[in-house]
Amino acid sequence: MAMKALDIYKHLPKTNCKKCGYPTCLAFAMKLATGKADVEACPDLDPGAKALLGVVTRPPVRAVTIGAGERSVTIGEEFVLFRHEKTFYHPPGIMVEVSDTWTEVEVRSVVEEVRETVVHRVGQDLVLNGVAVRNESGSADRFAETVRLAGGGSSLPLVLISDDLAAFEAALAISGQYRPLIHAATADNWEPLAALAKQYGSPLVVRAGTPADLAAITAKCAEAGVADLLLDPAPGSLQGYITVATEIRRSAIERTEPALGYPIYLDAGALGETDAAVATGILKYAGIIVTPRLSRASREAALTLRQNIYTDPQHPIQVTPGVYPINNPERDAPVLLTVNFSLTYFTIVGYLEASRMPCHLLIVDTEGLSVLTSVAGGKLTETMVADALKKFGVADLVDHRILIIPGYAAPLSGKIEDATGWKVMVGPRDAADLPEYLEKEWKT
Amino acid sequence: MSENSPDKLAIREVRLGATRAEGGTREVSYVIGGDRGLPFCGNDAGRRLVALEICDDPAIWPPVVRNYVGDLVNNPEDWAQAAERRYGADLVRLNFTSTKKRGFNAFADIASTTERVLEATTRPLIIEGSNDPQVDSEVFRRCGEAGEGERLLLGTAEADRYRSVAAAALAYGHLVIAQSPIDVNLAKQLNILLRETGVPEDRIVIDPYTGALGYGFEYSYSVMERIRLAAIAGDDDLAMPMISAPTDTLSIREVREAAPEEQDAMAVAWEFYTAYSAFVAGASVVCVRHPLTVERLKKVLEA
Repeated sequence: MAMKALDIYKHLPKTNCKKCGYPTCLAFAMKLATGKADVEACPDLDPGAKALLGVVTRPPVRAVTIGAGERSVTIGEEFVLFRHEKTFYHPPGIMVEVSDTWTEVEVRSVVEEVRETVVHRVGQDLVLNGVAVRNESGSADRFAETVRLAGGGSSLPLVLISDDLAAFEAALAISGQYRPLIHAATADNWEPLAALAKQYGSPLVVRAGTPADLAAITAKCAEAGVADLLLDPAPGSLQGYITVATEIRRSAIERTEPALGYPIYLDAGALGETDAAVATGILKYAGIIVTPRLSRASREAALTLRQNIYTDPQHPIQVTPGVYPINNPERDAPVLLTVNFSLTYFTIVGYLEASRMPCHLLIVDTEGLSVLTSVAGGKLTETMVADALKKFGVADLVDHRILIIPGYAAPLSGKIEDATGWKVMVGPRDAADLPEYLEKEWKT
Repeated sequence: MSENSPDKLAIREVRLGATRAEGGTREVSYVIGGDRGLPFCGNDAGRRLVALEICDDPAIWPPVVRNYVGDLVNNPEDWAQAAERRYGADLVRLNFTSTKKRGFNAFADIASTTERVLEATTRPLIIEGSNDPQVDSEVFRRCGEAGEGERLLLGTAEADRYRSVAAAALAYGHLVIAQSPIDVNLAKQLNILLRETGVPEDRIVIDPYTGALGYGFEYSYSVMERIRLAAIAGDDDLAMPMISAPTDTLSIREVREAAPEEQDAMAVAWEFYTAYSAFVAGASVVCVRHPLTVERLKKVLEA
């Protein structure tokens, strides 16, 4: 199990020498306890203490980087089983597969799609991460040629999938300096593959049917000098994957089996239902998801799901406070008040845009809390509303002085009228009812 | 995970629908819940159901669904029958959207539509009644009475308007959907309120409210996980099966603004990713609106 900061502190020199970059040994201990610092930063630690603390303070799931340069992807370094316990840190890399039996045109079109796909959502650019090249031709040369077609790893991170040592050697001769992910070391071939991975400094996937077998092989690979490993539990079904991935992640974070403290690899195409498998990997602990080409609709849904699940629950995506024009409002359009919780904002905007009803949407800063919780917690007050009306010059945008507030903010209606001098109308609680409400109730 | 003995159920069993032998007219009834641990993990016993949602007034229904099902939108009983026979839904969720009209008072239609849809279907039925305190009492009484003995799943009870739903469920032998706004503690409170009103615990299904994918779905996902974990840890007031209805999914910009030839694909992809994730988080029943989503979910769940 993880050690508490004070227990770690006992093993530190207590000199507060600052050589680790932190002001005191205790501050360093606190960083170590949360996996945010490396024991190696302390130059005065004796080897015994270093070994002891190294085991308990490194992130329970090792951070592994695949690829090089701008598009490289770092996975792992996770600390919890459920995102509400803290957050998930490193979204899984989604790698689209190509086969070395395909034509050049087919390979290039997938590579192009991975390189060019960008989904813009709430200020973030969501992308596919790389290309997985599958050796199905039986030819090492063909494999190497396809790896070269896929950019050789210089632009997009690659996964090299084969069971032929000669094919790996040929492919790594082209792509080896760009840290491609090698798939996969098994009980039979781990020794030469670990040697290759070590030679090129490439991350290596270990594949076996049970956590115990995975642990046995990763331990040997680690001993052979390969630090960056992934685990492929070779699931037979989605349920099988969820069960074993949960077991692996739990062993890792409870530190009951250090040889399972690596990111998980999921072949989403192997289970028949690609979309379900991709979603499962995103929800349940995958570090790398290899998938057949996805339709545009699936791609956007998958990337959005990944963004949602890897959003820090402590820092919800917030909307910038201000006045937002919806459907080109004029001076007689209604003014609607709401909070800067992204769920609330986007839901309301969705319904308003669909209704084609012009209006001004006034967003106040409730620190990302919903209407209900911000009213209950005092984060939405009449003073804030008055300040926001003034700050954003709402009175200059419209000829009327009527403010529609959310149904859940009804308790504040009198106070808002007093504080702002605007007439307050209490709107519906549910955004879905807004268009109808406006149609019936709004007349200037 | 569970500290409990392997015999103890983490989630209470709830029976939806009633066959003739059970006092109703359904050809099957379903037991949901009965799970012992985390969803999809080994000893997970619970049954997962896919509901297709239909409505009695399609004016506010997503255009992508209206286009796909065509004339069915004007006829709830044909639509319900197609949901079961053609689209393969485990059950139908009938949403009385007509009650959202201002000055709604067609209460007799509520009863007759309920009867006709029950007549047209052979599986359990979920009914989403009004959400206006002015008409709640009469709406729930009418549909409750029309389906007496059928063990309908009646929605939606909320903290400040649960009495009408609860009263209809108690009077006519139905179940209650208890909806709370993405909050574990509020979910628990509402279950306690319902229990104090006399609704038996095995007649409550939790609806933690589901935001659309890309629009806060992660909050719903985590609340479902937390409710399930609380139940596994032994919290009896949260040990009910969950229902998830990501009803905003087809109203989002990505679906609305998709090119005409991509509308169905976009709608189905977004519904599928959301609904499937809700199952992974622990939902026993997930409601969707596009018929093609039903087919894809069924295929995955049966694999």
